[in-house]
Amino acid sequence: MSRSALVGLALLLGVAPLLSGIAARTKARLTGRRGAPLLQLYWDLARLRRKGVVYSRTTTWVFRLAPIVLVATAALAACLVPLDGRRALVSFSGDFVAFAYLLALGRFFLVLAALDTGSSFEGMGASREVTVAAFAEPALFLAFIALVLATGSLSLGGALGAPLTQAWPTAVPALAMVTASLFLVLLAEGSRVPVDDPATHLELTMIHEVMVLDHSGPDFALILYGGALKLALFGALLVGAVVPRAGLAPGLGLAVLVLGLLGVAVLVGIVESVTARLRLSRVPQFLTAASALAALAVILLLVR
Amino acid sequence: MALFFTGIAAIVLGGLARVALSPRPRLASGAFALLVGTGCLVAALPAVHVLAGGTVAAARVSAAVPGGDWVFGVDPLSAFFLLVVLGVGAASALYGVRYLAAQASHGPVGVSHLLMALEIAALALVVTARSGVPFLMAWEIMAVLAYFLVVFESQHAEVRRAGLIYLVGTHTGTLALIALFASWGQRAGALSFDALAAASPALPVGGALVFALGLAGFGFKAGLVPLHFWLPGAHGAAPSHVSALMSGVVIKMGIYGLLRLVSLAGPPPVWWGWLVLGLGLASGVLGVLWALAQHDLKRLLAYHSVENIGIILLGLGIGALGARYDAPLVAVLGFAGAVLHTLNHALFKSLLFLGAGAVLRATGTRLMDRLGGLARRMPITWATFLIGSIAIVGLPPLNGFVSEWVVYQSLLRSAGIAPARAAVFAVAGLALIGALALACFAKAGGAVFLGQPRTTLAQEGGEVERGLLAPMVALALACIVIGVAPVVAVTPALHVAAAIGGVARGSADQAAAAVGPALQWISLTAIALAALVGAGWWLHERLLRRRPRAWAETWGCGYAHPEPRMQYTAASFAAPLIVAYGRAAGVHVTREPGAFHTHPKDHVLDGIALPLWTRMRTWALAARPIQQGRLWMYLLYLLGALLALLLYLALRAG
Repeated sequence: MSRSALVGLALLLGVAPLLSGIAARTKARLTGRRGAPLLQLYWDLARLRRKGVVYSRTTTWVFRLAPIVLVATAALAACLVPLDGRRALVSFSGDFVAFAYLLALGRFFLVLAALDTGSSFEGMGASREVTVAAFAEPALFLAFIALVLATGSLSLGGALGAPLTQAWPTAVPALAMVTASLFLVLLAEGSRVPVDDPATHLELTMIHEVMVLDHSGPDFALILYGGALKLALFGALLVGAVVPRAGLAPGLGLAVLVLGLLGVAVLVGIVESVTARLRLSRVPQFLTAASALAALAVILLLVR
Repeated sequence: MALFFTGIAAIVLGGLARVALSPRPRLASGAFALLVGTGCLVAALPAVHVLAGGTVAAARVSAAVPGGDWVFGVDPLSAFFLLVVLGVGAASALYGVRYLAAQASHGPVGVSHLLMALEIAALALVVTARSGVPFLMAWEIMAVLAYFLVVFESQHAEVRRAGLIYLVGTHTGTLALIALFASWGQRAGALSFDALAAASPALPVGGALVFALGLAGFGFKAGLVPLHFWLPGAHGAAPSHVSALMSGVVIKMGIYGLLRLVSLAGPPPVWWGWLVLGLGLASGVLGVLWALAQHDLKRLLAYHSVENIGIILLGLGIGALGARYDAPLVAVLGFAGAVLHTLNHALFKSLLFLGAGAVLRATGTRLMDRLGGLARRMPITWATFLIGSIAIVGLPPLNGFVSEWVVYQSLLRSAGIAPARAAVFAVAGLALIGALALACFAKAGGAVFLGQPRTTLAQEGGEVERGLLAPMVALALACIVIGVAPVVAVTPALHVAAAIGGVARGSADQAAAAVGPALQWISLTAIALAALVGAGWWLHERLLRRRPRAWAETWGCGYAHPEPRMQYTAASFAAPLIVAYGRAAGVHVTREPGAFHTHPKDHVLDGIALPLWTRMRTWALAARPIQQGRLWMYLLYLLGALLALLLYLALRAG
C-alpha cells in the first residue's frame, strides 16, 4: 500500500464535487452566462447535511440504505483504480469486474429505492436508468478487454499502470478508440448530455434526477456526492488511459490526475453546450456506437 | 459407498414413512423430515471425504442384464454434484413439508412427499452411477418422477399441459442419450464408464457423434436455448419447492452429463467447444431477455435458469477449448467456473423459488403486477429474496459474483490461446447478461415487494411460518458464506475441474496459485463493503437522531392524491429494454388508448415446437389407415416384410 495511492484516493474523494461545477461553468460561459459558483455542489452538500429528512410513508429500510450503499460502493471502486498512475490500493487479477459490479450494486440499490417510493415518476426514472446501464455495460467491458489485450495485464492497476506506457506507441489507433468509447460511457454513466441532462426541469424527461426525487436532507447529499464520485471515477479511468503516468514522480502523477479530471469536466461542459440531448429511443444506438468502437479496438488488438 | 447407500435408504424410508403414517400427519411429517434430513447428511459424508482428498471404493453389483456390472462410485465430480443434490434437495423437501400441508385438499400430499424423497435418491444415483445401464435407469426415474411432481395440481389444464410438454422434451433428450450409450458401447464392448473411457480414442471422427448426441441429450435436460422450451412452463406450474429442486438441481444433471462426457471422452473437438460457447451466449442473453418480458414471477425465475445455464456453458465451452488447445490454466478455470456456478445457481435459484412460493402462499398470485408492498408484510422473505437477487445478478459481496468472476477469468485468459482468442468477446456478452439480469431483478423485487400493494391480494398477505422461512434463511446464509469466503468453494471446484479436464497434475495448484491472491482480495472487498455500509448506517442514524423525521406522501410532482394503481408496473419497467430489442425479445405488444399490454411468447415453443407437433399429428393421422385392427392385414404385412428381406438377401448375394 503506497502513500501516493492513499493521497490519490483522498484527492479523488475531495475533488469529485468540483467537476460538475466546472462543467456547469463551462456550459454557462459558452452560452454567454456567468454561471453558478464553481463550488456550488460543496455548498449544496453542506446545506443538505444540516437539514432534516422527509420520508415517504411508502418507503422501507431499502430507501434509507440505498444512498449509503451508493457512496460505499463508489468509494470501494475508487480503491481499484491506479490514481497515481502507478498502482492501485487494491489490485488483483480481474479486478475490473469488481469495479463494474460494485458500481452496479450501487445502481441496483438506487433503483430499488426508487421503486420503494411507489411513485410512477421514480419508477420511470429507474426503468430508464437500468436500460441505459444495460447498453453501457458491454461498452465498458469491451474497453476493459482492449486495455487488457494491449497491456497483457488482467488488473486495472496493471492495465492503467506501467504496461500502458509501453502499449501506447504500438497500438495508437486501438487505444484512441478505447479512449473515445470510455468517454461516451462516461457521459452515460455520469448522467450527462446527450444521454441525460442534469439541468432539465421536467420530470418526464429526466433519468437520474427523477429517480431520486423523494430523497432529502443528508440522504440526498449522499446521492449527489455518489453521483459526483461516479463521474470522477470514470474521469480517472479516462485520464489513466490517455496519460500513462508510470514514469512520472508520484506527486506529479497526482497533479496530472487532478488537471486531467478538470480537463474532462471542461470537455463534458463543451459537449453539453454543443450537442442537444438524444431522444430516449436513440440512446441505445448511441451506446451501441460506443460498444462498436471498443469492439473494433479489440479486433485490431487481436489481429496484430 | 456403504455410508452413501445407507443415506439413500434413509431418504427413501422417510418418503415411505410419510405415506404409511399419513393418517397421523404430524407424526408422518416429523418422521419424513428427520429421515430425509439425516439421510442427506449421511449420504453427503462420502462426498465431503472425496472433496477433502480421500477416495471411496466403488461398489459393484452383478446384474443379469446386458451392459455388464452395475458400478457406483464417487469421484470429485460426483462428489461436488452430490453435495448440490443433497443440500438443495434437503432444503426443498423440508420446505415442502409445511408448504404442502396447507394444500392437503388439493392433491395427494403424502404421495408427493414420497416422490420428492425418491427424486432426491434418483438424483444421487445419477451422479454416482459408473456404468450406462444404471445411469440411464436413474436418469429415467428422475425424469418421470419429476413429471409427477410437476403435475401435483393436475386439476388445472395449464399444469397438465406444462407437464406434457416437459415429458415430451425430457424423453426426446433421453432418446439421444440411449443412442449415445448404444453407439459408444458398441465400440467399447461394455457399458461401464471405464470401458467407455478406454474406447474413446478409437471413436470415429474424434468422437463427433458421441459429442453431438451428448450435447443434444444433456442439452434438453439443462434447458439451453433452443432446447429450453419445456422449462419455463414446467418450472412455473410445479409446486414451488419442486420448482426449486428442478431449477436448482434437476436441470444441473444436464451439466453433470456434459462434464462427465468430457471427462470420459477426453478433450472435445474444437467445433464442440465453440458450439457450447455459442449456445451459452445465446442461452444467457436470450434467457434473461425473455425473463424480462414475463409477468409471472415463477416463469421469470424459470427463464433465469436458462440464463444461468448459459453462464455455466460459457465456462464449459471455454474449458473445452482450453483442454483441446493444451492450455491447462484456461481449461481448469473454465470448468471450475462451470461447476462453481452450478453450485451457486443451485443455492440462489432454489432460494428465489422458495421465496416465490412464500409470496404465492401469502397472496395466492404469481402475477407481479397484482402484488407490491410485501416488504413490510414479509420482512424475512424480502430480505432473503433480496440476497438471492443480488447473488443471481452476480454482484459482490455474494456467491454469484465469485463464480462469474471465475468464468470471466477463464474467458480473459483465452486471449493467450491464439486460435481461441476470439472467445474474449464472450466477456462483453457476460457483461450484457449481468446488466440485463440487474434490470430484471430490480423489476421483480420492486414490483413484488416494494411500493404499495396494487391489489387487495397483496394487502392481505402476511409473513409465512417458520417452517418455510428456515430453509430460505439457510440457503441465504450459504450464499453469503461463499461470497465472503470464496476460497472454501473455489478450491474444491478447481480440483474437480482438473479431474474433468484430464489435464496435467498440478494444474489445479497452478490455477489456485493464479486466483489465490484475488480470492483474498474479493474476501476483503466483501468485508470492507459490509463494514463501510454498516458504519455508514450507524453514522446516518446518529446524525438523524435529533433531527425531525417527517413522514409524508410520496412526492407526486404536485399531484396530491397518489393511488397504488398509479405506480409504475413491472411491464412498463421492462418496456424500454423490450422495445429496444425488438423481435428478439419475443413480446407481442398491444397499445390501446389508455392501455398498454405486453404478451410474452416463447419463440421456440410457440414458433417451432408446437407447429412441428401439429404437423407431426397430421402425418400420423395420414399413416393411420395402415392400422385397421384386422388380423389378415397384419399377416399380410408380415409376409410383405419377409418377402422384402428375402429379396434384399437375394439381390445382395447376386
